[in-house]
Amino acid sequence: MFILGFHFPADMGVKVPDEKVIEKLDKSGVDFNSVKEVKLFMESREGQKQEISYTNKNTFMFKALVHYVKTAETDYVIYTNRYQIAELSKRLDANDDETMALCKKFDSMAMFRIKAA
Amino acid sequence: MAQLRQIAFYGKGGIGKSTTSQNTLAAMAHYFDKNILIVGCDPKADSTRLILHEKAQSTILQLAAEMGTVEDLELEDAMKPGAGIFAPGTPGGWINCTESGGPEPGVGCAGRGVITAINFLEEEGAYEEEGLDFVSYDVLGDVVCGGFAMPIREGKAQEIYIVMSGEMMAMYAANNISKGILKYANTGGVRLAGLVCNARMTDREYDLAINLAHDLGTQMIHFVPRNNIVQHAELRRMTVVEYSPKSDQALEYKELARKIIANDMKIIPTPLEMDDLEDLLMKFGLEEEADEENIGKSAEA
Repeated sequence: MFILGFHFPADMGVKVPDEKVIEKLDKSGVDFNSVKEVKLFMESREGQKQEISYTNKNTFMFKALVHYVKTAETDYVIYTNRYQIAELSKRLDANDDETMALCKKFDSMAMFRIKAA
Repeated sequence: MAQLRQIAFYGKGGIGKSTTSQNTLAAMAHYFDKNILIVGCDPKADSTRLILHEKAQSTILQLAAEMGTVEDLELEDAMKPGAGIFAPGTPGGWINCTESGGPEPGVGCAGRGVITAINFLEEEGAYEEEGLDFVSYDVLGDVVCGGFAMPIREGKAQEIYIVMSGEMMAMYAANNISKGILKYANTGGVRLAGLVCNARMTDREYDLAINLAHDLGTQMIHFVPRNNIVQHAELRRMTVVEYSPKSDQALEYKELARKIIANDMKIIPTPLEMDDLEDLLMKFGLEEEADEENIGKSAEA
């Protein structure tokens, strides 16, 4: 099973607990405090572009995005990863309206690029 | 020497199975140095064209017909090395290509070509090539025909990846293929290794695909977005991995390739009943709940 690119052994089944994913992020060696702002560049299937600034440091979303910025080989966001980030964030950051709005954007078919500001 | 892994890509006709499988296998060879034998099991014989830069490879059934019998056929006649970066001796892994072929439309059994091809390749030692890491079968259809179930029935393909999308018939086929795997899981050892969503970019496609995967007891190993660069590459009879190796789409296939290489989730699936499948489609908006009294009535009525 693969979540955010991390491999989880098959004996964990298809429903890996969220805390196991957070554990992988925490053990990844990424310094999450080194980034203050994540910038996302969204382009819809129709070609409409939007730039999004995200700074909510205490969320799972922020941690996952910083990990992606720091470890991915390009600024293109793999679709599966971002759907998975949104899926987890909806459970873990449910009280944060701004993050939920970003999750909604992540659920779309738009393409995203990412960078640390 | 690492153990040979025999994988198969199954899926509904027209779902993009051959495109997905060739791009993924190309990524496994190019980025991860894997050596691969492709066994195309589709009468269209289009499972290797992007690797070979050809229109269609001569099939084992065609060549056998020309020679008289399959016994007269030599392995080097039926198996071609990949072109460009997939040729032996180039950096990265190599890919060898074969196509089973099939009868003329409307005549004979298409599955027979699959059986003949696999038996021929085994007898001629194609699977014993030095350094071979993967054999990949690209199989048409939803196993309604026993011939197409041959790679799983005989335990040739050990891990099955089902290429599907969020469209009803693709999901129906994925469920049917899972039934086929379940049927032979205990006798042949075949396992479902995951769904690959070759996206049509329809609403809530990810949700639909992942829920189907979980209901089947498996993972959706990757969501492949639609991108025109795939068609641009196909016009040149190339995979995206070779046409534009640093493109976004090539990175999607690279990630899918990485996961397949590392994948250890191989399960006996739990196929859905038709009612459960329809409930799933309804839940995610592909079907509208019909009012009983309106069933069978035209829009004007």
